[in-house]
Amino acid sequence: MAYSFPEEVLEHVFSFLSSDKDRNAVSLVCKSWYEIERWCRRRIFVGNCYAVSPGEAAFRGFQPRAGGLGRLRVPVDRGDVGAYPLLEEIKLKRMVVTDECLELISKSFKNFKVLVLSSCEGFTTDGLASIAANCRHLRELDLRESEVEDLSGHWLSHFPDNCTSLVSLNMSCLGSEVSFSALERLVARSPNLRTLRLNRAVPLEKLANLIRRAPQLVELGTGAYSAEIRSDILLNLTEAFSACKQLKGLSGFWDVVPAYLPAMYSVCSGITSLNLSYATIQSFDLVKLVTQCRNLQRLWVLDYIEDSGLEALASSCKDLQELRVFPSDPFGAEPNVSLTEQGLVSVSEGCPKLQSVLYFCRQMSNAALISIAKNRPKMVRFRLCIIEPRAPDYLTLEPLDAGFGAIVENCKELRRLSLSGLLTDRVFKYIGTHAKKLEMLSIAFAGDSDLGLHHVLSGCESLRKLEIRDCPFGDKALLANAAKLETMRSLWMSSCSVSYGACKLLGQKMPTLNVEVIDERGPPDSRPDSCPVERLYVYRMVAGRRVDMPGFVWTMDDEDSGLRFS
Amino acid sequence: MEVQLELALPSGSGKGSDPNQDCDQRKKRSFEEAFMGVKKKEVDDLHETLPLLIWDGNEEKKQQFDGELLEQKHIPKLAISNNRNAEMEDNFVVVGWPPVKSWRRQFCHQISHRECTTNYVNVENNGGGGGGGRGSNSMYVKVKMEGVGITRKLNLSVHRSYHSLTAKLIAMFGICEENVEKYKLTYQDKEGHWLLARDVPWETFIHSVQRLKLQKMATTFYS
Repeated sequence: MAYSFPEEVLEHVFSFLSSDKDRNAVSLVCKSWYEIERWCRRRIFVGNCYAVSPGEAAFRGFQPRAGGLGRLRVPVDRGDVGAYPLLEEIKLKRMVVTDECLELISKSFKNFKVLVLSSCEGFTTDGLASIAANCRHLRELDLRESEVEDLSGHWLSHFPDNCTSLVSLNMSCLGSEVSFSALERLVARSPNLRTLRLNRAVPLEKLANLIRRAPQLVELGTGAYSAEIRSDILLNLTEAFSACKQLKGLSGFWDVVPAYLPAMYSVCSGITSLNLSYATIQSFDLVKLVTQCRNLQRLWVLDYIEDSGLEALASSCKDLQELRVFPSDPFGAEPNVSLTEQGLVSVSEGCPKLQSVLYFCRQMSNAALISIAKNRPKMVRFRLCIIEPRAPDYLTLEPLDAGFGAIVENCKELRRLSLSGLLTDRVFKYIGTHAKKLEMLSIAFAGDSDLGLHHVLSGCESLRKLEIRDCPFGDKALLANAAKLETMRSLWMSSCSVSYGACKLLGQKMPTLNVEVIDERGPPDSRPDSCPVERLYVYRMVAGRRVDMPGFVWTMDDEDSGLRFS
Repeated sequence: MEVQLELALPSGSGKGSDPNQDCDQRKKRSFEEAFMGVKKKEVDDLHETLPLLIWDGNEEKKQQFDGELLEQKHIPKLAISNNRNAEMEDNFVVVGWPPVKSWRRQFCHQISHRECTTNYVNVENNGGGGGGGRGSNSMYVKVKMEGVGITRKLNLSVHRSYHSLTAKLIAMFGICEENVEKYKLTYQDKEGHWLLARDVPWETFIHSVQRLKLQKMATTFYS
């Protein structure tokens, strides 16, 4: 019946719908209604919760669920859902999802196939049980990095015996032990299973049996990779791995016992992605494994690998594209491993395809950065975190402006950059001048004045996301570049010098922007206009202002009152 | 056109300070000045919005207020300084830095605790060895010292006695020896009550503490 009306007619009809509830209902009907509704809607109810847990999201910023992207809003109204059976896929990031909502999803969408909850929270394993029990055609259940209240592992047993559709299961973030026999049976009856990421509680002794039932696996996340050293376990595991001819990705590796690593050697030549970021083993053992993986494209590893390990990596893995080195002791005052800028320089020298870097270290020099820049002009993502804020070039004690300047000047394809160390306004001048393709920039404890921010906002043509913390950037640069904000997806500033007055002005004069002040000290109008706000979040309004904000978030309105809060 | 902007930050820019007293409103800027009075062109012609503030283009000149900002700005919520006092915390944390995700932070704490041979307080763990799940081995609580504007954060899970905690607090706040006697350690429990820390055994304290406060003792108080 929807198809009998020309689109323009439907569009006209929809334009009379003012309530979010109706709008959302309409957009869920079918693809063409979704599209039509999307074109003409002005308000989108974004039902996400900006949970503030200090330290967690502070630097990462918040991500609004901009509407029009096919993401289901949460919570789901009971009345609408039953009539719209077509929804197959829900992918949510950083949202609060309840068990009730999961149950509703599982019972309402008969064709539901894909649930990806990335960094979400608010639900328990009971919610997962509903999904397992009711989604007959479930293909993908991916809980990556979500915070799930783990009541028990029993949820997995709720998958009915006739559920054979599973392609991808990622439960690595869960703590509880699931029934192993239920897991085994589930894996055995899922011929299409390609991705299986187990949680830490799945013991190594049982891993062999599991993967034996799924030799077609492409990506495997192990559980804890430790057991008492027994030759039968090793043999079993080695045999099981050798049957997995399609394996390309490995992850997991909690609590590694190095003696069991050789079990995987038979698959190493096919491995392109290796996540060892939980493997607390020494450089020597890491190197033995990594150098077997000659076709490695992506490596995530702890800084236990050290400079020497990275040098070995650079010699063996010539296809490496992405390297992430995580800190094993980020809050310690002294370095606990011998990982310096040299490791990264080696990899930049030895790996011609390196284009994506995330590197935590404790010292850096301009010389090293210049070297890296010259070695790898095709760098696309460069995220450097020198652990000590405002750490200078350790050799010259100068700021690292020249080093990062070289990065942006040489790496013309750079799309993402995270800065750290001692930096003056000069680095921002370089960035504004050269980083023309830069889309995302993260800045912390850097710069001297508004000039820094001004350089970035006025110079970086492709900038979409900017997150800043603890920098002396204030009203001037922000207001002078207000128009720029309309071309960006979002701006996040915390602990900077932006005054409440400026936020109000921005909100008043820029009607297409959502300007939100997040301040835990209480309503910002209880303080003078010149008082800086704790956090500012500005994002392009896809449609409508948020109405669901928690009590410490205020929207800068276009009304004269300048303040509207929930 | 040059725009004069005078902004001043509160002298203690952390939580707990009274912003009304601290904000210094010297010269209130007239935002209307910033608008050149240019009339909005017809919608057809206008392709870009005018800036709300005209950058003065005089990039090299540092205005006076920049210096003030610079001096005050270096204090984020938790003060950091490059010239580290040897007595200062090695446990000192800037909230959210380094930018590691929460489960990785928990994981790192597990590593460092394993390297420590003594027992540590195990905060409620949801079974299974907690592979990134809700079980947390770090216990960051806020610490406020009366008379100090900035609230700090402290990881309680590395401490196993009042002795160790007190030593850490003394170092963190730089309390000199003669002043140590003048403060008492209080804590807020799960019910929201403020209690004297040393009145309860360490185990009780560690399981119910939500935040800490160092309170000045009244001079007539008898200890």
